[in-house]
Order: sequence, then structure tokens, then C-alpha cells
Amino acid sequence: MDILTQVEPSGQVAPREFAALEDAVLEIADLQTHFFTDDGVVRAVDGVSYAVRKGETLGVVGESGCGKSVTALSILRLVANPPGRIVGGAIRFEGRDLLEMSESEMEEIRGNEISMIFQEPMTSLNPLFTVGRQIAEAISLHQGLGKREAMELAIEMLNRVHIPEPASRAQAYPHQLSGGMRQRVMIAMAMSCNPKILIADEPTTALDVTIQAQILDLMREIQEQLGQAIILITHDMGVVAENADRVVVMYAGRKVEEAPVDELFDNPGHPYTMGLLSAIPNLEEAAHDEGGQARLNEIKGMVPSLANLPPGCVFAPRCGFATDQCTSAYPPLTEERPGHWVACWHAGRLLEAGS
Amino acid sequence: MSAPATGNGADGEAPLLAVHDLKKHFPIHHGVISRVVGQVYAVDGVSFEIKPGETLGLVGESGCGKSTVGRTVLKLLEPTDGRIEVRGTDITGLNARAMMPYRQQMQMIFQDPYASLNPRMSAAQIVEEPLIIHDVGAAAERTERVAQLFERVGLGARHMHSYPHEFSGGQRQRIGIARALALNPDLIVGDEPVSALDVSIQAQIINLLKDLQEEFELSYLFIAHDLAVVEHISHRVAVMYLGRIVEITDKTKLFETPLHPYTEALLSAVPIPKARSRGRKRTILAGDVPSPINPPPGCHFHQRCPYAHDRCRVEAPTLREILPGHQAACHLHDDGPALPLATPAGD
Repeated sequence: MDILTQVEPSGQVAPREFAALEDAVLEIADLQTHFFTDDGVVRAVDGVSYAVRKGETLGVVGESGCGKSVTALSILRLVANPPGRIVGGAIRFEGRDLLEMSESEMEEIRGNEISMIFQEPMTSLNPLFTVGRQIAEAISLHQGLGKREAMELAIEMLNRVHIPEPASRAQAYPHQLSGGMRQRVMIAMAMSCNPKILIADEPTTALDVTIQAQILDLMREIQEQLGQAIILITHDMGVVAENADRVVVMYAGRKVEEAPVDELFDNPGHPYTMGLLSAIPNLEEAAHDEGGQARLNEIKGMVPSLANLPPGCVFAPRCGFATDQCTSAYPPLTEERPGHWVACWHAGRLLEAGS
Repeated sequence: MSAPATGNGADGEAPLLAVHDLKKHFPIHHGVISRVVGQVYAVDGVSFEIKPGETLGLVGESGCGKSTVGRTVLKLLEPTDGRIEVRGTDITGLNARAMMPYRQQMQMIFQDPYASLNPRMSAAQIVEEPLIIHDVGAAAERTERVAQLFERVGLGARHMHSYPHEFSGGQRQRIGIARALALNPDLIVGDEPVSALDVSIQAQIINLLKDLQEEFELSYLFIAHDLAVVEHISHRVAVMYLGRIVEITDKTKLFETPLHPYTEALLSAVPIPKARSRGRKRTILAGDVPSPINPPPGCHFHQRCPYAHDRCRVEAPTLREILPGHQAACHLHDDGPALPLATPAGD
């Protein structure tokens, strides 16, 4: 528990949130990943802590540049160095700190224990090899199976992700498959070694909405069968609402809110979360707004530069509730309700007013 | 040929834009002498109308031809067949010079605010360019007009001499909007104008587009894949699938009583950002969108349609009025409107 109570560089005490989270398979504590660029230090991830339970889906949501993907890449230590470097924090997996491991130990973790799928499957598949061979290679590398057995298992995995005629599709090259099929191949590959955690970084963002529904459905089905934890990173609040058990909201490199999914959508406690939720058009309300009078809530201004963050709360310059306190000191994460953490000086008042 | 879709009520009002049976096929070339070996049937018989001050949303998945419709309507692409009318005048056969006065009336906003602005021109030059091309006003008047436009789209005058790379995505989209407004057009075609933007910025741009519409009585052809955004901004919505419009009506009817199985599935697939949406029951379509190079016979949707029967596999349904002001292209309604849509065919 020592890392959980350590004082952050900014002077605030990191919350003891993991004490409440039983069955955690992965715990990130006060992670800091910075990029050292010509324009200065970009604090892409600046003291982020979250944990994911066995068998649950944790949604991590936020807009571009909020640090959600860099946090995930940091878990697998895939942040390009230089310019990026993990400068602080800990990532606990089964009692060990991934940040302390050697590169060869990490190779045992990647794919085997924790695997990842990305937004654009075309960039993560090798265009020169058939998809069957690529899955088989991952299998033989991690499970030490022979060529033929690995290929059999690869075909079995393709069948499992509902690719029709898996044996012949295994002989296809990535460009011969549609976007949805490629993402199924990625899921087959990621699942082939039965990992404990699947990190899915915008897995459906490049896909059409009817194909997105297929892929999310498949991920749910596989999770029910295999019981792994999923970290689902997305910018889409609808995808989060329909697929996550708990949600972490990130803004400008920090976690600003965390809550069980229904609690978050019913009672958002951070002004940024509230702003996001009212900025998205709602299909049903939009359809009944016959005069076209409804306006979307705007969050004024834009995300600050991560190389030059404002003092105090990073959201204060765009926040309608900001006071002097907000611009002078960053608010600590506090547990406002069971399992509902908010980093806002006014969270208590806002939650009370909301409910 | 299917009849053009008419709007709800206000039938006496002449349409600003009318499109009749529009087709755009792209030839596929192959070999050393570039023999034509096939066609991409990107747009294959599309008809609709837009009234003054109205927004028609055009929604569909990638490859359905919605962007090609937008470009062909503006004659940025030459139509293969069909007719485009602006206030009753046929512009289909006009050459570039004869198109000039119509180009003033019809402008476009693009999806990618990074690719659609010339990086070598300042923001003010970009917005002024259409005024120069169409020879509007003297230099001093143009400068004043550009300053007004900057003000109107929410960009400070201090930004006028900055270059595109100095702006954020949302600001660049504002420059694109200012450029489209420069000539006081009647119609703006927006091709996924907000899809590249983050939600908080997307809301700013959608609100701006709605304000501008009210102020200048603009018509929009709003092309997007995000059904919630389309329903929010549009008065009427057309749903496209593989080169054809499968349903067109006002936005409330589309949502309340979708008449085409594809619309029904599309509505059901949109994730709902609300509590207790987890594990929501929905229609999940099997398979992928077929290739527009070799579209299936009959109804283009029959391979994925849970209600498809024998006739759907051979005969393409025509778009026709099934309920007042509500058109759909589906055999399910041959014997009058079948609502809710028929129970799935068991085969």
C-alpha cells in the first residue's frame, strides 16, 4: 500500500482508492508519462490512478489528447522512448510492478497476460502474411506449440470470432478482408493466448455503426466465456454506457472522475463530465425536436496545451463553476459517494444540486 | 425512375434543389491500354428535393455513396445520368463557365479541416478567395467582408493573418464555414463537417451551423454517418444504402416509424449515452456492406435483411410513398404499410 499513500509531486495526497477495489487484476498508481519535445515537456499522463477488476469492463473516456491511450500504452510499456518516458508511478499486475520488469519479462506479459487491440487493425496486421499465419505465430511464440497445432488453434480462434469459413479465411491477406473482419482477426489474435486483461483502444472508432455493434457484441460474448478484464478506451459516451461496468473520465492527462456506469450517467459529478454529456446530441430527443430549437451545450474554449498547463484545476479556464480556489490549487480526488470519485472543489455541491 | 421526394406540408413551395434519378458510376480501368473492366456504382438512381431554409440529412455507412451525391450535386463530379435542378433550372449539362453563377449559390464544407485549407494561404486569403474568383466588390470592400465573416463565425480579427497550421481543428472548420459563407450562398453541402472534431468542439460547430441557417435562411445538405447528429440538425433525413436512398422522410417519422429494415437496424445500432443502456437488446445486422462494384441483384440490402423473402432477391424495390410524406424502398409494404415491420422470414 505504500505507493498508494505517497505524496504526489504537486503536493496532493494520492487517494487510497484501491483499498475499496477488491479483485483488482491491474492497478495503476500515480502514473506519469511525459514526452520530452522541442517545445517542452508534454505531460501526457500526469498522475493517473485506476484499477480494473477481474472480469469487468472498465471504460476510459475522454477527448483527443486527454492521455487515455498513452496510459494504456504505458501499461504494456509501449510508449516510444524517446521522446516519451514513464517518469513516475507504478503499474501492479499480480503483485508485481510492470515498471520494474526487464524487457524480457515484459515480453512474457505482452500477449500472454495482457493483450491489446487498436483502432485501425490494418496498421497492426502485417500486410505480407496471411492472417492465419500471423495468429499462429503469436500462438507458437507464446505457447510453444508446433506449426501445425498453432495453425489449427488459429483457425479455431477465427471460428470463435464468427468469421465464416475460417479455414479458407485463414489463408487471406489483411487487405482482402473488410474493416470489421480485420478487427475480428485482431480480437482472435489478442484472445489466442487467453490473456487476463484485454486493452481495447478505440476498437470500433474506424468502423461503421452496424459493424461496431457486431464487434462490441463479440467482445462481450468472449468476455462472458473467458472472463477476462477489459479496459475499453473510447471517446464515445454511448459505447461506454452500453459496455462498461465502471468508467474513468480523463481530461488533459488526469483522471477527473470515476464511477460505476449508471451512477456516472445519472449523477455526473465533474463539470467536464456534465459538459460532455450535454454536448452530445441525443438521438431520441433530437428526433422529437420538431422546431429544431434545441441547442447543444458547448464547452467553451479548448483543451489547454499539455506543455503549458494552467495552474490549479486544468479544466478551470473552461468551467462555468470555477472560483478562485480552482485556479490556485488542483482539487484532490475525493470519494463523494460509494465508488464515485471526483476531482473538483465543488463536486459535493454539484452532486447535491444534481440529485 | 422514382418520383422526387417531397417535403412535409408546404407543398406549394418550390424546391431550391431537385435531384432526379441521379447516377454516378466510376469506371474501373485495367491493363496497359486502360481498358474499362467494370464500374463502381457509387450512386445509382437517387432523387430528392431541398426547400429553402431546410436541412436534408443524408445518412449511411462508408461506401454508400453519400459523399458522391454531395459532390455530384455541386457538379464537382460529372453525373453519369439523371438531372440536377436549381430553382427549376436544369444545371446538369452546364459547362464550367455556365456553372459560375450557380457556384455562388451552392458552397461546400469538407470533413477534414486539415486537408481542405491551402497551407500556403493566410486565413483571410482563404476566405477572400471566392470573392476574388467571382469578382465581388473592390479590394477594400472585400477586406471588410472578410472581417465580418471572421466575426460571424467566432474567429477574432487577430487571427486573420495566421496560417491554417496555427489553428485548432475547430477553428479550421470555422475558417471553412466562413469561406463557404463568403458568397452568400443559398445552399451549403456539408460533407461530414463535424466528424473529425471532439464532442465539445463538435457541439460548438453544430450550434454555429444552426445559427447561420436561421440568420441567412440557408439550406443544408448535411452528409454524415452519425445518426444522432443528423437527427439533431436536420428537418428531413434520407437514408442511403449502397448507392440508393432506401428511406426518406421527416426526422421524427424516421425515428418513430422506420419503414425500411436497414433504417430500423441503423437506429438500433446507435449506442445510447444514458444510464442502464448496458446489455440493451438491439437488432444486430449480420455481414458487411456488399461491394458497389458488384452489388447484389434485387434489393441491395437483401443479404443482410432479417425480413428478406424470395422477391427481394430478384426484384429491386422502388422508392415510393408508403405513408403520407414518408417514402421507402421495400417490398414489405407492397400490400400497404406493414407496421411494425413483418416478423422475420423463417428460412
